[in-house]
Amino acid sequence: MTGQAPSMDGDRLPAIAPSGDARSWMRLIDWIWTVRGELPLPAGQSAAEAFARLEPFFREPGTSFDQAEGSLTFTKKDPLAQDRMSIYDAGELRVESQPGGGVLRYWMTSKSLLFCFLAPLLFVAFGQIIVGVGILAKPDTEQADKKKKDEKDKVRELHWIDQMLGAPAPEKPKKDEKEKKKEEGGKDRFSPTSAYVFAGLFALLYVIGRILEDRLIRRRFLRSLSGG
Amino acid sequence: MNGVRVGNRIIGADSPVTIGWENVPRVEGGPFKRLFFTWFQPAVLFSMILFWYYAPNSIAKASTAIGIGIAFRALLLALEWVNPRHKSWELTWKECVTDLFYVGLGYTILNLVDNFIGSDVLIENLLSSFDWDKFAWFTGLPLLVQAFLILFIFDFGQYWMHRGMHNWYPLWLTHSVHHYITQLNINKGAVGNPVELFLIGLGIGGLFDFLPRAALLAGAIGMSIGVYQHINVRFNTPAWWRFLFNTTEHHSLHHSLDFEATRSNYASNFIFIDRMFGTCVDGEAELLGMEGGRRMSIREQMTYPFTEGWKTMKQKFGKPDDTHAVPAE
Repeated sequence: MTGQAPSMDGDRLPAIAPSGDARSWMRLIDWIWTVRGELPLPAGQSAAEAFARLEPFFREPGTSFDQAEGSLTFTKKDPLAQDRMSIYDAGELRVESQPGGGVLRYWMTSKSLLFCFLAPLLFVAFGQIIVGVGILAKPDTEQADKKKKDEKDKVRELHWIDQMLGAPAPEKPKKDEKEKKKEEGGKDRFSPTSAYVFAGLFALLYVIGRILEDRLIRRRFLRSLSGG
Repeated sequence: MNGVRVGNRIIGADSPVTIGWENVPRVEGGPFKRLFFTWFQPAVLFSMILFWYYAPNSIAKASTAIGIGIAFRALLLALEWVNPRHKSWELTWKECVTDLFYVGLGYTILNLVDNFIGSDVLIENLLSSFDWDKFAWFTGLPLLVQAFLILFIFDFGQYWMHRGMHNWYPLWLTHSVHHYITQLNINKGAVGNPVELFLIGLGIGGLFDFLPRAALLAGAIGMSIGVYQHINVRFNTPAWWRFLFNTTEHHSLHHSLDFEATRSNYASNFIFIDRMFGTCVDGEAELLGMEGGRRMSIREQMTYPFTEGWKTMKQKFGKPDDTHAVPAE
């Protein structure tokens, strides 16, 4: 059976799971963007019944699927945010008969997981670019800061209303403090700290996503198969 | 779908919207929950004003503001989870990653670009080239007046820039990407093509000289009002707040799937600017986005203004398509 949810951009070819020795080395790294798993089917459930229960997952906008001979392949393009499989772009589900009963095996790839895995590298690169630009731009900024120097020396006073209400008066910066602040200001402008913080955040998000999405899809498939 | 007449316009003819505050649902639950979600927004705003007005100089620094900003956003994320406005706007892992990517761009590469061609840098160069001084009288005003003026001047400029983006095709190309978001969450304000994110940040605030404390106050007030534009939390926002400030309700209409509704509520903080120019519509929408709610990938978000612009140029100035030529008899 071939299904086509209300897709927004036409037909696409079904995904094909990697196979053969030539691609076995990919198994070493493809865990980064691939979610695999297997679930026991409820006693007596046939492949057709199992896929019928899972079909709502693939009846989503932007999803194309092809079901035949105990397997289902799908592709997704721009799935909705609330699509329960929105992180996956392609994959295959297969029902295999085993002595203890049927087993559903699935293999799904996710560009989102790969993107999140690579994002820390991107932000580290941004950090390096910021540092590099800071080194190149330093002479110009120092000149500009000199121009501002006189302006900053002025003592400013609060409006009488603010004085009456007790707001702290602005302080005139001390000479050495001013120099220190100027240096810090220059550093801040070309500081890579934010880039490194985001690199860390994405690394953390990857770990969370890789574990969370794996468990979520397993739970959702299990619930659907058991009719919950 | 018939839509609702608002002034001379029919809102909601393309997609369902709710018009009028009396039709917007209220927070349901126990008395504490209702009290909390009624007074949360004003309480935060006035606490922020008091804090930044009286904080000693040793504390009233930009680093404190950044820390408070991050903690506040974390709190709002928790509120999205506790009291969501719509189940269909629930934050997923993928949405969170996408949003944070744009927040990250803002803090890194866009910030770097701003150091060279941002409006403050351009104004600074302009003032020094013509040997002009900043409007120094600004610093003689009461702190809260300075803070309000900083915000109002920026918001007024932003209103016209935003309205321009919805009315002039080249600007719309850059802004349209932001309108492909299909739900509102805390960090969705950062999502958009980098060209638009740069343009929307332009302002003339650099012409004025002001006290650092006034700038911190303006930042805190702006955050305490503007952060609710993109958020999936239902509040019983007080009527005076809804009259003065932009709310999630207003902004959800602006992001609605309904074309006419998107041409309203342009201001960032002060919705009274929209009221002044007749573009304010009070109400809310749940179905958001463009092209029937298609979600755009990050790759397309980055290239869309250029690819669309190229297509349009080709259509307008390119050679006519031979395949449609009528054969000669």
